[in-house]
Amino acid sequence: MKRTFGVLVVVVVLLVSGARVVAHHAFSADYDENKLVTLKGTVTKIEWTNPHARFFVDAVGEDKTVTNWSLELASPNSLTREGWARGTLNVGDVVTVTGYAAKSAKNMASTRSVTMADGRALFGGTQGIQ
Amino acid sequence: MRKRLGVIAMAAAVAGLIGASSSALMSAQGRGGGSAPKVDLSGPVPKLPDGTVDLGGTWTGGGPVQDMEAQGKFKPGEIPLLPWAKKVLDSRTPEQDPHAFCMPMGVPRQAGNYPWRFVQYPTHKQATHIFLLWEANIHSFRQIFMGSTHPANPDPTWFGHSVGAWEGGTLVIDTVGFNDKFWFDRRGHPHTEQLHTIERWTRKDFGHLDNQVTIDDPGAYSRPFTTTYTATLQPGDEIMEYICNENNNYGIAGGFRQ
Repeated sequence: MKRTFGVLVVVVVLLVSGARVVAHHAFSADYDENKLVTLKGTVTKIEWTNPHARFFVDAVGEDKTVTNWSLELASPNSLTREGWARGTLNVGDVVTVTGYAAKSAKNMASTRSVTMADGRALFGGTQGIQ
Repeated sequence: MRKRLGVIAMAAAVAGLIGASSSALMSAQGRGGGSAPKVDLSGPVPKLPDGTVDLGGTWTGGGPVQDMEAQGKFKPGEIPLLPWAKKVLDSRTPEQDPHAFCMPMGVPRQAGNYPWRFVQYPTHKQATHIFLLWEANIHSFRQIFMGSTHPANPDPTWFGHSVGAWEGGTLVIDTVGFNDKFWFDRRGHPHTEQLHTIERWTRKDFGHLDNQVTIDDPGAYSRPFTTTYTATLQPGDEIMEYICNENNNYGIAGGFRQ
């Protein structure tokens, strides 16, 4: 049910923003669309670059340990067209992130959604959404 | 699948209810500084002062992305690959796609999901050049020499040497001199330096532009084959800068690149 709701949120955001998802290179070579992860933590760094923007989160695990995750987003251009601006995400923000885990690298994922502390959910641009 | 369709149907209903409140999320950047204007995409084809078709506007689409066979509406196996070329196609994997390493997609794949523009020059009299400006991938351009001819032995390049002419309302672009390095699609359809493409661009109405493209490469295909891709106007959108090689991490997540 939780996953269905997550899909609902993402699809709503997509439909509402009227955006087209700009396709990019092969998602499946890098990420596993069967491994959806959810993290909650604090943003530590943002790289607003091409071909993929990227942000880093100190994610708190169930055992209270903190792990820094590297999270890939769509290109800044795609994000802008889908309603992001450069100030949408900031270092220090507490966020909940869902994404598809990297096939090989540890603590890395392709972002599906970012939910801000105020409840706003934004699409991260992953091509893994089915 | 059915459950997902149900979710999407629910989402559409909800989207209709909350659409108005989310317009604040829309950024002006990349959209010409304002919200998308109301435009009739089925309106008439615009013309330049001398009656030539005006190809202006920001377009997306017009070429293959994932699979030239499926998107070109060919039946499986209909594209006439020579045996060696079929072997190459079957052996290619996404990790090898040059486009993922910020190299050009060539013709006709470059006209894909990233926005692009035709620039006709000049417009106050017959054009000598037409440029195609690509947002990505890569941020580059292609030039069409109008009313010109190909050199005898062009250096192989990613976009080839293009000459163009109008046939009524259709821009015909003839290109030779390609290198063999780009892929026609993500699936990996190959070609050789013998590639010769003929594109026939016809603006059907205000918002739609057909690209009927013939691929003629006796080095990889036993006969020429033709299909049509359609580009769609994106009113209010502008090409944005996209420097692909500034931070390309493709392959790090998948472990096939350090």
